[in-house]
Amino acid sequence: MSLLRVENLHRHLGEGDTRCHALRGVGFTIEGGRTYAIAGHSGSGKSTLLYLIGLLDIPDEGRIWVGDRETSRLTDDERTAVRNEHMGFVFQFHFLLKEFTALENVMLPMRKLGRLSEEAMRAKASDLLTAVGLGDKTRRLGTQLSGGEQQRVAIARALANDPSLILADEPTGNLDHTNADRVFALLSDIAHQRGQALLMVSHNPDLANRCDHVFRMQDGVILA
Amino acid sequence: MPPSLLIALRFLGARKRAMLMSLTGIVFGVAFFVITQAQTAGFEAYFIKTILGVNGMVRIEDRIQSTRAITATEGSSFSIAVEGSVKYIPGIQHPKVVIDALNGFAEVTAASPVIRGNATLIANFREYDTKPYGIELDTFLNVSDLDTQIIDGSIKAFGESPYALIVGARIAKRMNLQVGDSVLLDGPGEPQRYRVAAIFETGIDQVDRERVYLHLSAIRTLLNKPTGASFIQINLLDPSLAPALAPRIEQAVSHSTMAWQEREKTWLQVFSVLRISSALTISTIIFISGLGMFNTLVMIVVDKTREIAILRSMGYTRADISRIFMLQGGIVVVVGVVLGCAAAALGTYTLSHIPIRIRGIFASDHFVVLWDPWHYVAAAVIATIVVLIASYFPSRRAARLEPGAVIRGSSS
Ligand SMILES: Nc1ncnc2c1ncn2[C@@H]1O[C@H](COP(=O)(O)OP(=O)(O)OP(=O)(O)O)[C@@H](O)[C@H]1O
Ligand SMILES: [Mg+2]
Repeated sequence: MSLLRVENLHRHLGEGDTRCHALRGVGFTIEGGRTYAIAGHSGSGKSTLLYLIGLLDIPDEGRIWVGDRETSRLTDDERTAVRNEHMGFVFQFHFLLKEFTALENVMLPMRKLGRLSEEAMRAKASDLLTAVGLGDKTRRLGTQLSGGEQQRVAIARALANDPSLILADEPTGNLDHTNADRVFALLSDIAHQRGQALLMVSHNPDLANRCDHVFRMQDGVILA
Repeated sequence: MPPSLLIALRFLGARKRAMLMSLTGIVFGVAFFVITQAQTAGFEAYFIKTILGVNGMVRIEDRIQSTRAITATEGSSFSIAVEGSVKYIPGIQHPKVVIDALNGFAEVTAASPVIRGNATLIANFREYDTKPYGIELDTFLNVSDLDTQIIDGSIKAFGESPYALIVGARIAKRMNLQVGDSVLLDGPGEPQRYRVAAIFETGIDQVDRERVYLHLSAIRTLLNKPTGASFIQINLLDPSLAPALAPRIEQAVSHSTMAWQEREKTWLQVFSVLRISSALTISTIIFISGLGMFNTLVMIVVDKTREIAILRSMGYTRADISRIFMLQGGIVVVVGVVLGCAAAALGTYTLSHIPIRIRGIFASDHFVVLWDPWHYVAAAVIATIVVLIASYFPSRRAARLEPGAVIRGSSS
């Protein structure tokens, strides 16, 4: 059974004159332990697709299976629970909560899941931050970290609940070349090591080509 | 600690100054609310205590005489109330019979007959119009606080002499009377000489200015009233029983009977209007703090839109987000109410020790306060409702944010 399967996704965005057919029948499957890139021109529908897969948005048509679970009939709370348990998000902007330290940010998804004790959460968050190379900066607030460091905290946070799928929308878009390289390597290594799937939107053809598979998008469809 | 509480606390910290303003408002609002209530209720309670100590809980006066049409049905329990068909005959002809009839009421703890009239007090070559009250000392002490109203001389001295007098403080002052002085009372009967045994002060201006107490036997001579009484003053187990009991007594003894609540209606209304209006006025402080709180929370929601979206994406439900904002309100209101109540208790205590001389409707030399837990409960309830409403709308707005739309909007 595949980790994620989408079928014939359609999505219209906007109202009236600005209404546009952003996705025009997208379908593919994703397997665990592999990395996937979505590449394509600006406006081709990459983010739209990623949000649908992340259950942050609802398709006008088509289906999304997470494991063997079909998600179109799920309530908002059920979709949220699926995100909490099975998905980790990394966005172009890291969105750290600036009143929380790096460690606390990483602990937030675990607190919601509520499966670990306080000490266990702390230890795990600390391990994750060490894995992204920030083991010595766990007590820093977001504002006391560089852009690349903040993005690595966001990656650690995305991994907090051991999601089966990591969704990243231009995770390196805001970083310089060296940092972009490190962040990508980190994501790709972790996915391979832990058997998690990585689905990454990227403008950077170099990075996209380093993924196991590349979906090329154009005008709302994936080119064969 | 549940994550929503943790997040609520940190978000509050982000708007510390604005939140402290709202908090301060709630603390002051709650404190002032309780203090003004304690004070107005204190004055009211003290007024009631005074008035009960002076004029009693229930008074039986004027005999009710039915007209012929109704006396014709005598013997049956059937009666007709017709406007104008009832005549009042002043006074009580047979006080003993009435008092005996009161034995049937378990709520009645004491009853005392009183004769009231008019007489001129003559002393130091001056004349002064007074209202003498002839009392039966032993029973009268059970239906009044006369013993505690004595400010000079003694009840004992009054009790020991048949021609002793207790005069009101204002009379004593005007006529320059001291305990032991001899005065002449001139009434419809025979003028008589009395000795001032004591001076009383109730604080009720009108009473202190015109009332003198003398023995029942003495007033009969003074007013030439060999029998009967002007009224019977009654004490009950509990003052709150009076309104229900008075009509029953009236029926049983066929004399007009009035409860103190009815008699003092005007003043009681003044006090209750005062209390309500001060409660409303002070509540505006709480309302305004609530408005400030609403504003601050809306600012936090706008401020934290991305954070809310990311929390939603990592698994926090709409209810969690809503809870985060309701909890911010909750934290402020809990802290505000606790501090406010503490400040209120301190303020009430301080106020009760501020010296102020009050005479007119009662006598006090300091602010009178009433410690009533319900004042604290009322303040807490008002603050809680206001803050809940102030938090509800921002929290709903936060919960309704679409994480996808927010993230899309901020990453392009
Ligand atoms: N709110 C909206 N209303 C109308 N059209 C929209 C809206 N948001 C996006 N679109 C359109 O939908 C299409 C797909 O947008 P999407 O954000 O998925 O593109 P993208 O491939 O992620 O682009 P980029 O590489 O620039 O991020 C675009 O043509 C865009 O103009
Ligand atoms: Mg995009």
